Amino acid sequence: MATTVIDTTTPHLQPFVPSPVPTTVQTYKGTVWDWLTTTDHKKIGTLYLFTALFFFLVGGLEAEIIRAQLGAPNRHLVSAEAYNQIFTMHGTTMIFLAIMPLSAAFFNFLIPLQIGARDVAFPRLNAFSYWVYLFGGLFISIPILFGHGPNAGWFGYAPLTTKTYSPGINIDFWVIGLQILGISSLAAGFNFITTIINLRSPGMSLMRMPMFTWMAFIVQFMIVLAFPVVTVALFFLLMDRFFGTQFYEVASGGDPLLWQNLFWIFGHPEVYILVLPAFGLVSEVLPTFSKKPLFGYPVMVYSGILIGFLGFGVWAHHMFAVGLGPIADSVFGVTTMLIAIPTGVKIFNWIGTIAQGQFKATSASLFAVGLVALFTIGGISGVMHSSPPADLQQTDSYFIVAHIHYVLFGGSIMGIFAGIYYYFPKMFGRMLNEKLGKIHFWLTFIGMNLTFFPMHFSGMLGMPRRIYTYDSGQGWELFNALSTYGAYLLVVATLFFIYNFFKSKKSGRPAGPNPWGAGTLEWTIPSPPPPYNFVVLPTVTSRYPLWEGKQADIESARINQQGGKTAEQLGIVLPYGTIKPLLAALFMIVMFSGLIVGHWLVLVGSAAMVLALYGWLTSPLEPEHH
Amino acid sequence: MIGSHRLRRLAPFGVAAVLALALAACAQSYPNSTFTPHSDLGRSIDFLWNRLMFFGTIVFILVEGALVYVVIRYRRRSETVMPPQTHGNVVLEITWTLIPAAILAFIAVPTVRTIFETQAPAPANSLVIEVYGHQWWWEFRYPEYKFATANEIYVPKGRTVDLVLRSNDVIHSFWVPQLAGKRDAIPNHTNHIWFTPDSNMATTVWNGFCTEYCGDSHGEMHFRVVTVNPDQFASWVSHQQAPGFFSPAPAAPPSPPAALPAAPAALAQAAGKAAVTAAPATSIPAPVVPVNPTASPAQLASYVLPRAEVPEYAIPHTPFPDAIKFDDRLQGDPAAGEKLFVGAGTCNACHSVSGNPLAVGTIGPNLTHVGSRIAIAAGMYINDKPHLSRWIKNARLMKSGVLMPTLGKGQYDPQIKATTPSGLSDQQVADLVAYIQALK
Repeated sequence: MATTVIDTTTPHLQPFVPSPVPTTVQTYKGTVWDWLTTTDHKKIGTLYLFTALFFFLVGGLEAEIIRAQLGAPNRHLVSAEAYNQIFTMHGTTMIFLAIMPLSAAFFNFLIPLQIGARDVAFPRLNAFSYWVYLFGGLFISIPILFGHGPNAGWFGYAPLTTKTYSPGINIDFWVIGLQILGISSLAAGFNFITTIINLRSPGMSLMRMPMFTWMAFIVQFMIVLAFPVVTVALFFLLMDRFFGTQFYEVASGGDPLLWQNLFWIFGHPEVYILVLPAFGLVSEVLPTFSKKPLFGYPVMVYSGILIGFLGFGVWAHHMFAVGLGPIADSVFGVTTMLIAIPTGVKIFNWIGTIAQGQFKATSASLFAVGLVALFTIGGISGVMHSSPPADLQQTDSYFIVAHIHYVLFGGSIMGIFAGIYYYFPKMFGRMLNEKLGKIHFWLTFIGMNLTFFPMHFSGMLGMPRRIYTYDSGQGWELFNALSTYGAYLLVVATLFFIYNFFKSKKSGRPAGPNPWGAGTLEWTIPSPPPPYNFVVLPTVTSRYPLWEGKQADIESARINQQGGKTAEQLGIVLPYGTIKPLLAALFMIVMFSGLIVGHWLVLVGSAAMVLALYGWLTSPLEPEHH
Repeated sequence: MIGSHRLRRLAPFGVAAVLALALAACAQSYPNSTFTPHSDLGRSIDFLWNRLMFFGTIVFILVEGALVYVVIRYRRRSETVMPPQTHGNVVLEITWTLIPAAILAFIAVPTVRTIFETQAPAPANSLVIEVYGHQWWWEFRYPEYKFATANEIYVPKGRTVDLVLRSNDVIHSFWVPQLAGKRDAIPNHTNHIWFTPDSNMATTVWNGFCTEYCGDSHGEMHFRVVTVNPDQFASWVSHQQAPGFFSPAPAAPPSPPAALPAAPAALAQAAGKAAVTAAPATSIPAPVVPVNPTASPAQLASYVLPRAEVPEYAIPHTPFPDAIKFDDRLQGDPAAGEKLFVGAGTCNACHSVSGNPLAVGTIGPNLTHVGSRIAIAAGMYINDKPHLSRWIKNARLMKSGVLMPTLGKGQYDPQIKATTPSGLSDQQVADLVAYIQALK
C-alpha cells in the first residue's frame, strides 16, 4: 500500500520523478568467503543485525526461563545456581550482545547512507569490530551451556566477583568477555566519529544531518568516554583474579565502592548508549509517517547532547542505598531529576511532530508511537527513584526491574523494531508484511505491558530483585503470574516477527528506492543499495533533500536512484575484502583465553595476533587510484 | 422512588465500607507493602512517594493523553493532503521545558529536606543494633544488652532503632519494607539507618530481605523483625541474655550450674537493664514459653511471641527436598544431643550457645535461643522437627552454597560432588534436633 503513495505526497519535489518500483530485487550474492572478508559497511551491518537478533532470542529464552521459574511461589524448575547464571546472562546478553549490536547494525548500515558517503572511514577496522563482537559474544555466552556461566549479575559487584567469593571460572569468562566486547565498541566508536566528522557529502552540515546520525554521533562520544572507565574497572578485577593484585579484596582493605563508582560511571551513560539510537530511529520514522519534518530539530539535537553530558553526572543514583551521605545523595538526586527535562523535551517534540501532520499507522510508526508511550512510563518511574529517600524503598526491588524494562524494552527495543520495519526495505529490497507486522506490534505492546507493569506492584509490595524463588503468602503471586503470562505472550509476538522477517526477506513485495515517501538521503538510492552506495556523492541543501531540496538535491537524487551499474563501470574504487581483521579478532580471543587455559596460550595468541595485524597494516586498503 | 432515594443516600456509606474492606484486605494480603509504613522513616518516604505519584500521574495522563489525541486526531484520512510543514514552535518548546522543571522543583525541595532529616545522626537514646550480613544469614548484636542472635530480632515500639550495618564477606542490603528503606551492609564500611517503629502499631512480625545480590542463596536470605511493647521487649532481652540450656528429663538433677559459669552476673545485669528500659511498665506479662521446672526467675519472665500470634506470611512454606529421607518418628534425647553438639556433630566449630564454654563458634548463627525462633536457615524453612532434622542431615541439598556441611552419613554433598562416607546416623540427628529445639 505504501508503495502506491510515493511522492504524490511530496509536493516540494514536483520536478523530481521517482524511478518506478522494480519487479525484481537485486540481493547480495556472495559466498561464505565474501561474508568473512567483507569490508562493506552494509554487509557488516547485516552481519551485526543477524548476530544481534540471534543473541536477542538467546536473551529472550533466558528471560522466559526466569519468568517460568517465578510464575508461582517455591518453584524449582532451575536451581539457584542455574537461575543466577541465567539472570546474569540475560542482562549481559541483552545489553552487550543484543541491544548495543542492534544499534550498531543501524550505525553501520545507515550512517554512511545518511551522510552521503561510500563507506565508513576505516572499513577494515569496522570488520574487526564485528568479528571481535561475534567471538567475544560467543566467548561469554558458551560457558552457561556447560554450567559455568557468569553468575554475579551483569553489574558484577565486587567483592562477590573476586576470587575469594567466586573461585570458579564463571566470572573469568565474564570479565574477559566484557573486556573483549569493550574493544569492539571502542573501535567502532572511533570509526563512526571519524566517519561522521570527515565523510559527510557536500552541503551536509552538522545541523542538516538526519537525527539518527546525530544520536549515533552523540552515542559514539559516550562510548569512547564511558568504556575506558569500565575497562579500568575490569582490568583491576582481571588483575585481582589472575595476578593476585588486591584492588577489590576486602581482606586486604580493598574498597568495594571503587568498583561501584567505576562501574556506574560507565553504567549510567551505557543506558543512554542503549536508548539514544532508538530515539534517533523514532525521529526518522515519525516525520515520514506524519509527512512533516521533525518538530524542533535543533532542540532535539541539543537535548540529545545534554542527555549525553548529564548522563555522566548521575551515576551515584544507582547507589543511594550505599550510604554516600546526605550531600552526595542530594547532588545526584537533583542531577538525575534534571536529566528528565531534556528527555521530556524529546517526548513532547515527537508528539509535536505527529500533531498537525498526516499520521499513517504502519508497523514502523506504531512501534515508534509505542516507544513514546512506553518510554514515558519508564521516565516517570525514573523520576520516582531520582528522589533518594523514595529510592530506598524502590532500589533493588522489582519496581526497578519494571523501570529498566520500560526504558530498555519500551525504549530501545520498541525503537529498534520501528527501525527494522522502516529500514528492512532498504536493507533487503523487499517490504515486510504489514499485517503480520501490526499483529507483532499489538502482541508485543500488550505482552510487554502485561509482563512489566505488574512488576511495579510486586516491587512496591516488597519483592526483591534477583531472587531465584519466593515463598507463598507474600502478596506477590498474582503479579508474578501476570508477568509470566505476559512473557509467554511476547514469545508468540516474536514468532510472528521471525516468520515475517524470513518470509518477507525471501518473497516480500519489491520496495523500490523510497517505499515510504521519506525525505532523507538513504531513500535516494536503490534498495538494497549498490556496493558504492551513491553514483555521485550527493549535494545537500536541506535536512530533507527529497522533501525540501533544491535543484542540486534533485539532480543528485535523480542520478543516484538509478541502479544496475557496477563500481568498475562507474570507475568507483572500493576497498578490498580481507580476512585479516577476522584473524586478528580470532587470535585476540585466543590470547585472552590463555588467561584461563594456560599462560603459554597468551604468548601464542598474541604472537599470532601481531602477525595478523602486521599483515593487515602492510596490505593496501584499496586498489591504487588512477 | 423512596427506595432508590434512600439507596442513593446510603451509597456513600456503601462505597466507604467497600473501600474500608478493600483496605483491610490489602493490609492482610500484602504483608510486605511499602504503602503501609509503620515508622517515622517509612512515613517520610511514603510522603515523598505520594508526591511523586501525584505528579507522575498528572504527567502520565497529560502525555499519554496528548499522544493518543494526536495519533487519532491527525490520522491520515487522505493520501493526497499535504500537512503544513512546521519545523517547531519556540514558545511551545520553552513552555514544555519550563513546566517539567517547575514540577521537579516541587519534588526536589522536599527530597533534599527529607535526605538531611533522615540521615542526621540517630537520637541519643536509640537502641543500637549491629547488623552483620553473612552469606546467607543475618547476625544481630545488641551491644547495649550484650547478646547476639541471628535472623530474628525484637524491637520495642516507640523507641528509635539505630541499625549499624556491616559485612565481613560480600555486600548485602537490609530491608524491612513495612518499617524502613534499604541500607547496604558493605565490607570495610559501616553504615547507618534509623527509624522509630510506631508506638501504636501491632505486636507482630515483619518480613525482612537481603536486597543486594550476594551469591547463590541471595533469594533465601530473609530475617524477621518482631515489634513488641517495651515491657515485652525488656522481658525478651532478659531471656536472650540468659544462657541457652535445655530441660533435661524430669528425673535428672538440674544441670545448669555446670554449663553456666557466667549466668548469675548476666542475669543480674539483664534484670537491671530490663528494669531501666521498662520503667513505666509495672507488670511483666505472664510467661508464654512452656514453664520449665528448672528455669531461673529471669526465664520464667521471658517473653517470646507465641507461635499462635505469628502471622501466616512470616511462617516459611518452602518444602524440603524429597531426596533427603528421614524417619520423623525417631525420638531424640536432648542430653545426647548436647554431647553430639560439641562432639561428633562438631556443631560448636561454627555455632555458639551462650553458657556452653565449648560452643563458641562464630562462623554460623548463634544458636543460644534457636528453639524459640520461627524459622531456620535464614527464614527459608519453618523451625520444626522434620525441617530441622533434614537440615542437619544435609543442609547443602536444602540451600545452595551454604557453608553448613552435609552431616548425615551416606549423604550426597552437592558442593564436593561426593557422598559423605562417615557422618551422623538418623538417631544422632534426632538427638541433635531434640537438643536444639530445647534451646528455647
